[in-house]
Amino acid sequence: MAAKARQVVKAYGSGETRVVALDRVDVDVERGAFTAIMGPSGSGKSTLMHCLAGLDSVTSGQIWVGETEITGLKEKKLTRLRRDSIGFIFQAFNLLPTLSALENITLPMDIAGRKVDREWLEKVVETVGLSGRLKHRPNQLSGGQQQRVAVARALAARPEIIFGDEPTGNLDSRAGAEVLGFLRRSVDDLGQTIVMVTHDPVAAAYADRVLYLADGRIVDEMREPTAEAVLDRMKAFDTFGRVS
Amino acid sequence: MTVLRTSLRNFVAHKGRMLLSGVAVVLSVAFVCGTLVFTDTMNATFDRLFTETAADVTVSSKDAESDETPDTGKPATVPASLLDELEGVEGVASVSGGALSMGVTVVNADNENMGATTGAPTIASNWSDVDEWSMDIASGRLPRGEGEVMVDADTAKKHGLELGDELRTIAVTGEFRAEIVGVAAFRSTNPGATVVYFDTETVQTRLLGEEDAYTSVYVTAAEGVGDEELKRSVVAALGAGEYKVRTREEYAAESQDELGAFLDVIKYALLGFAGIALLVGVFLIVNTFSMLVAQRTREIGLMRAIGSSRRQVNRSVLVEALLLGVLGSVLGVGAGVGLAVGLMELMGLAGMNLSTDDLTVKWTTPVVGVVLGVVVTVLAAYLPARRAGRISPMAALRDDGLPAAGSRVGRVRSGVGLVLTPVGVGALVVAAGSAEASQGAAFLGLGVVLTLVGFVLVGPLLAGVLVRVLGAALLRVFGPVGRMAERNALRNPRRTGATGAALMIGLALVASLSVVGASLVASAGDELDRTVGADFIVQSDTYQPIVPEVAGRLGSVDDIEHVTEYRVLEARLSLPGGGSVRDSVTAASPTYAEDLRVETVSGELADAYERDAMSVPEDFAEKHGVEVGDRIGVDFARGDRAELTVRAITAADTSVDQGAMYLSTETAERYVDEDRMPLNMIMFAKAEEGREDAAYAALKAELEPFPQYTVRNQADYKELLEDQVGQLLNMVYGLLALAIVVAVLGVVNTLALSVVERTREIGLMRAIGLSRRQLRRMIRLESVVIALFGAVLGLGLGLGWGVAAQRLLALEGLKVLEVPWPTIAVVFVGAAVVGLVAALVPAFRAGRMNVLNAIATE
Repeated sequence: MAAKARQVVKAYGSGETRVVALDRVDVDVERGAFTAIMGPSGSGKSTLMHCLAGLDSVTSGQIWVGETEITGLKEKKLTRLRRDSIGFIFQAFNLLPTLSALENITLPMDIAGRKVDREWLEKVVETVGLSGRLKHRPNQLSGGQQQRVAVARALAARPEIIFGDEPTGNLDSRAGAEVLGFLRRSVDDLGQTIVMVTHDPVAAAYADRVLYLADGRIVDEMREPTAEAVLDRMKAFDTFGRVS
Repeated sequence: MTVLRTSLRNFVAHKGRMLLSGVAVVLSVAFVCGTLVFTDTMNATFDRLFTETAADVTVSSKDAESDETPDTGKPATVPASLLDELEGVEGVASVSGGALSMGVTVVNADNENMGATTGAPTIASNWSDVDEWSMDIASGRLPRGEGEVMVDADTAKKHGLELGDELRTIAVTGEFRAEIVGVAAFRSTNPGATVVYFDTETVQTRLLGEEDAYTSVYVTAAEGVGDEELKRSVVAALGAGEYKVRTREEYAAESQDELGAFLDVIKYALLGFAGIALLVGVFLIVNTFSMLVAQRTREIGLMRAIGSSRRQVNRSVLVEALLLGVLGSVLGVGAGVGLAVGLMELMGLAGMNLSTDDLTVKWTTPVVGVVLGVVVTVLAAYLPARRAGRISPMAALRDDGLPAAGSRVGRVRSGVGLVLTPVGVGALVVAAGSAEASQGAAFLGLGVVLTLVGFVLVGPLLAGVLVRVLGAALLRVFGPVGRMAERNALRNPRRTGATGAALMIGLALVASLSVVGASLVASAGDELDRTVGADFIVQSDTYQPIVPEVAGRLGSVDDIEHVTEYRVLEARLSLPGGGSVRDSVTAASPTYAEDLRVETVSGELADAYERDAMSVPEDFAEKHGVEVGDRIGVDFARGDRAELTVRAITAADTSVDQGAMYLSTETAERYVDEDRMPLNMIMFAKAEEGREDAAYAALKAELEPFPQYTVRNQADYKELLEDQVGQLLNMVYGLLALAIVVAVLGVVNTLALSVVERTREIGLMRAIGLSRRQLRRMIRLESVVIALFGAVLGLGLGLGWGVAAQRLLALEGLKVLEVPWPTIAVVFVGAAVVGLVAALVPAFRAGRMNVLNAIATE
């Protein structure tokens, strides 16, 4: 397992106003697989990702990334864990505007003071198709290219696990498909572990496995998904949700 | 109305971001108002003091130019018979004779000077009606007979004097001892003077040197008689022009005039520094509003999209500035009053007791403060406001949210700067090479202003270059954190430029003044080495003339080869070519020709010390066509007319004694009565060959009982010059500190707003693994780079100004250029430290930022 969560509860407030975002969630993220987390707005999917990635703390329960239990880690160690073991791709604003594409890609390693593996870097850059654009600043790149730089950055440091938070949410369908294609290939060709939060069935279809979240609970799971199947399942939840 | 409401909401919503700009306004306005309140209070206090302590009509000698004791050490007097004469004048209720001398030094048993070191005089007086009005006898009683004295309470307290202690009074007429029998306290303000009272006869015989004489007669008007009326009848009785007759009002106004001129100098100097601080504050305000507008671009775009006009947007920003200005100014006025009170307390420490009861806040003071603060704030916000007005409705839709416009303006601005700077440098070069002081000064002023404006305008351009250089030199060692800091400092050159420029102004002034100050000391030292042959210089640090007894004693000290007297006399000179000029001549011992090695362009200087001979300086000779051998009529102001032959013409190439005309003491004594001869203000001495140390020690021992005089050898004299210049510089630096503090607030402001602006970026970096420590370091480094950028500009500019000023002042004797590298280095390092300090709070806040919130921020 690349990461796992056991009985994770995330609650805000207390007493009358207590809101439970995650309700005793158990998750296993398989190594070398592409996992998608789906669910309607407010289902807790982003919260789950933030907790798994060590960005947010949990109210109770345990989370492991690799062999390390991250629940209860101090801020300093968490930061180091994120730096060394985790990669991020956000929906927007993934890059530092002052740094070139290449500098953005190597930033996590630079921060860590780690030597960049040139060979691997070239391979990653080639995989995402950015070879000619490394010297460009983010504002000289298109939205799709910017997200590809973000993918490259996440891959370059060879993290234990990459978290994507709606990585194609701001892209048109062609650019989105390109980025998802790279994520897929990085899993297939490079053996990378990826967890992606999305509400787009097309995006989810690129994953090996889809987890469905509703009201802070994992309510279903689908392997080898297709866009149609995912969409159907979502519709079913919607109806189910409205009936209940 | 909507505009106002939006502005008000924005203002309240962003009050944190306005805070530092507000502080800058408060500080500047406080300084202006504090200065005004303080000087007005001083004026009011002294006006009251002078009015209260004046008689209805005061009659004094027509020779009395002011109340100061003349340099003969003896005040001008009126005969005691005048009292009887005045008693009988119509409208006079009573008369009282005042006998007062300021030509005294009072020392205690340990030979310590009881006088103030602040320049306030020591006054020895009899107890007249005027004293009766203004003083209370706190303990003991009035002095009777020669052996008794009464002192003022402040002096007694300061020096621990008690009844029964013995004081020694040194005057031109000799010295005498007296026992303290009373202590008198000022009823109102003590202006800082040391006052001792003797009985009338003692003052007359011991200090005035004349029995039956007074220095002033105080006349009190009878019931229902006005001061003016009384003055008329007094003048009628005594004859016009025989005496100096002043009403209470005239007396107070006359006393006030001298003080007022001095206070005006202080006032305008302080206001000048306040102005500099305000100017620096402008940069801060411009930056704040620029950043607020930039952050609000999308919002403003939306307003424009739904139909707000440019004017409305523009006005909404200006209204915010107006609010800031009003709030800051009002607080500033209040703080200014507090500052004035603080200054008064400070004066109390220096011996001048000012009562807060006299605190004078003229109605103009708050008006000036508020108008100044508001106008400056609104003007400073004008450019950002205009930029806000130019934001297109499309901005609402753009993702990056930053206005694309501005590059054209930047180019125009840089272009203007690139023209102004070389022109300014040219003006400085012209000033440096100028052969005439007044013309050079004009060019210097022009050069300073043009280079300053030029640097401010090209600041953003220079920021690009200098930050890269500084980054390469200093930041590379910090790896990627350093690189990001450098890029952050570079990403908005206009902002970095303005922030640095604010710091530049203060530091440029510090640097240029330090160059001028160091050059002054170096030049004076050099001049001293070159021209002064005397080993020792004797003078009073409180500007007391050297009493004859001391002058006489110096001559008999062991191991001394000669002692040189040096007196300055007023005279009217009748020129050979007709016409006459008022000037002063220097009567010195012939040995002065050795003590000060003055070059002559014609004749021998030694000859000028012969009987009825004199020298004139080169420029005087040229101007009036005087040659060696010509005769000049010298009409001494306090003596007879002499016909002196010019025997030497001295070179103008000197800064010591520039423009002096020499003649021998003996020549002067032939035309001026002994008791009207001014005393030496300074004396020189030369030791016998090889006996310098012994002579120095002997001179010091001889002067031990006379603490008002100090003897210095050349090394000590140089040190004194250095100390004096150093003190002056420190005072100026202290005042410039206000401008620098405001500039530092500017750095804090820029960083704080940048941190807010970069919230998402910071969140991203934290998410991908930047530690808090690294984040803080990044912000600190950015701050240091901005501060150093300002320091480099400021020091560069200041050195340029300083060198140009020194070259120009070389005409006035400032011949040696000395750049105080240690000071420059301290300023540079200090700037780095300032950068670190400025980053403290912004870095702390950035570090504390919640990663998730930072990412989620829209």
